[in-house]
Amino acid sequence: MTDPRFEFVNIDLAASEHIAAPQYSYWKSVFRKFFSSKVAIAMLVIMAFVVIMSIVHPFISGYSNLAMDDINNPSARFLSISLEHPFGTDDVGRDMFAACWAGTRTSLFVAVIATIITNVIGTVVGMFWGFSKKLDVFMIEVYNIVANIPFTLVAMVLMFALGQGVPQLIFALSCTSWVATAYFIRVQVMIIRDREYNMASKCLGTPTFRIITHNIFPYLISVIMTGVSRDIPSFISYEVFLSYIGVGLSEKDISLGRLIENGSAYMTSAPHLFVIPVFISALISVSLYIVGQTLADASDPRTHMI
Amino acid sequence: MSTNQEKEVLLSVNHLEVTFYNNKKRFRAVKNACFDIYKGETFALVGESGSGKTTIGRSIIRLNKTSDGDILYKGKKINGKLSKDDQKEVVRNIQMIFQDPAASLNERATIDYCVSEGLYNFGLYKDEADREAKVDQALEAVGLLREHKSRYPHEFSGGQRQRIGIARAMIMEPEFIIADEPISALDVSIRAQVLNLMNKFKEERGLTYLFIAHDLSVVRYFSDRIAVIHKGRIVEIAPTDELFNYPLHPYTHSLLQAVPMPDPRIEKSKELVIYDESKRDLSGEKPQLREIRPGHFVFANDREMAEYEVKLKEMEEFKKANQ
Repeated sequence: MTDPRFEFVNIDLAASEHIAAPQYSYWKSVFRKFFSSKVAIAMLVIMAFVVIMSIVHPFISGYSNLAMDDINNPSARFLSISLEHPFGTDDVGRDMFAACWAGTRTSLFVAVIATIITNVIGTVVGMFWGFSKKLDVFMIEVYNIVANIPFTLVAMVLMFALGQGVPQLIFALSCTSWVATAYFIRVQVMIIRDREYNMASKCLGTPTFRIITHNIFPYLISVIMTGVSRDIPSFISYEVFLSYIGVGLSEKDISLGRLIENGSAYMTSAPHLFVIPVFISALISVSLYIVGQTLADASDPRTHMI
Repeated sequence: MSTNQEKEVLLSVNHLEVTFYNNKKRFRAVKNACFDIYKGETFALVGESGSGKTTIGRSIIRLNKTSDGDILYKGKKINGKLSKDDQKEVVRNIQMIFQDPAASLNERATIDYCVSEGLYNFGLYKDEADREAKVDQALEAVGLLREHKSRYPHEFSGGQRQRIGIARAMIMEPEFIIADEPISALDVSIRAQVLNLMNKFKEERGLTYLFIAHDLSVVRYFSDRIAVIHKGRIVEIAPTDELFNYPLHPYTHSLLQAVPMPDPRIEKSKELVIYDESKRDLSGEKPQLREIRPGHFVFANDREMAEYEVKLKEMEEFKKANQ
C-alpha cells in the first residue's frame, strides 16, 4: 500500500454496534400504526361523537322516561322529523332525539361495564388456568357446563329471577360470559407458555407470577383488545334483544333495546321510531368493532417493524 | 492427556434416564447416560438431531423431568423433587445459553429487563444504581453498548442477540453453563466471535461448560472432552484429541467421517460409511460403557471390547508408521 490517496483507518468497534434507528417506543408505535388507517380515524370520530352525545345530551335535556307531559296532546304524537324534534316524537309525545341519546347512554353503560367485568375476570382466571394443572381439572368442567347452556337462556332466567334493572342486567350479562373469555385466554397462554423465552426465564429463576405479568400478558394485549372490541357490540345487542323480548329493563329506564321494542309496533305508520334506534345501535357496533380491530392490529408489535 | 482422577468433579450424571409420554406411548429419549464433568473444562455432547443431547442439558437445568438416575452437582442431587432453597441454588449456579437467540429473548421487554431478570429474581443488587452498574458491566463484557438498554430484542442482529443471551446468563455469576448449540443459529461470520467470547469468560471466571453441538469442527476447537450420543445412548467418551485420533465406536467413526474436508480431492474420493445399527453384529451380552484406555470410554460388551482393542492397536501402529 503505497498509494498516497489511501490511508489506514482504525475500526471503531463501538460504532459497529450502534443502532441507527430511532428509539422504539411501544405505545408510540401503536398509535402511529392506528392513525395510519383512515377508516379507523373516521370510525373513531363517529364513535367519539356517539359517546360524547350520549354522555352530554341527557344532562342538557334532562330526559326522563316517566315524564309524559304531552300524553293527552294528540297533536304532539308521532311527529315527523323537524327542526324542533330532529328525530320526531313517539306515541306519547316524547322527544325522540333526547330519548335516543339517553337510551344510548344506558346501553353503552351496561355493555362497557359488562365487558370490563368479563374481560378482567376472564383474563386473570385464564392466565392462571393456562399455567395450573390443578385449576385446569376443575375449570375445564366449569367451562363444559357453562358452554353447554345457551348464554341467552342463562341471561333470561337470571333476569326473570332478579327482576328488571340496570345492575341486574349487568350481572346477568357478565355472570357466565367470563368463562368463555377465560377459556380463550387459557388456550392462548398454553400456546406461548412453553416457548423458548419462557424456558429461559424459568432458567433464570423467574417465578410463575412474574412470567405471567412480564412474559405472557404483554403478548396477549392485542388478543385481549380483539376480545373487548367484539364484546361491547355483542353486549349491546344482547341488551337490545333482552329488552325487546321484555325481560331487560323496566319502564323507568330507557335504552336502545326498549326504544326498538316501542318503535317496532309503528314500523309502518311511523318508521323513524324504529329505524333511528336501530341505526344508532348499528353505528355503535360497526364503529367500535372497526376501531377495536384496528387497535388490536396496531398493538401487535409484529406490525411495527415494517 | 492428564489423568482425570486428580480433577474435581463438578457435575456427575449417573444412569440418567428421561422418558416422554404421549398418552400411553413411552419414548425413552435418554438411556442410561453416565458421565462426569470436571471443574474448569468444556465437555461437549455431540450427536445427530433427536439423539437426546438437548434433553440431557435440559434435565440438568430441571426443565425436563428425569425418570431414573441421578444428577449430582458438587455431590448433591439436583434432579427430582427439591426444596425451594435447593432449587434456587441450582438456578443460581447453573445457567443456560439457548440455541435460537431470536426465540429465547422476550420480545416485549427492553434489554435492561432481559439482562437484569436474574438480578430481580434473586435480589442480587443493593440498590437501583448498583443494578444499573451491573447491567452496564455485563453489556460491556459482551461488547454491547450502554445505550442498548432501552432497546428491544428485535432491533438487534442475531449475533448481538446471542451476546445478550450470554450477558443475561453471566450476570448471575454462574459456575456451570449449559450451552445448547449456541452458535448453530448464527451466521458463520459471527460464530467465532461468540465462541471467543465464551472462551474469554471461561478463562476469566473459571467456568465449566457443557457444550451441546452437532458441528464437529467447532467441537474440536472448543472442547476438552467429548461424549458422542446416539439414540439417547452415550456410545463413546474421550478427550478431544484421543477421540479424533482413535474413534472406536462405528457411530463415532461415521460421525467424524461426515465432517467435510476443505480439499476437493479427498472429498470426492471419500467413501461415506453410514452407521446402521441393524446391520451390526449385536450378539453377546448387553453392552456397557467401559474404559478402554484411561479417560476413553466406549459402549461395548466383552466381544466388542476385544475388537476395539485390536482396532486401537492397528490405529496406533498406523500412526507410528506415518510419523
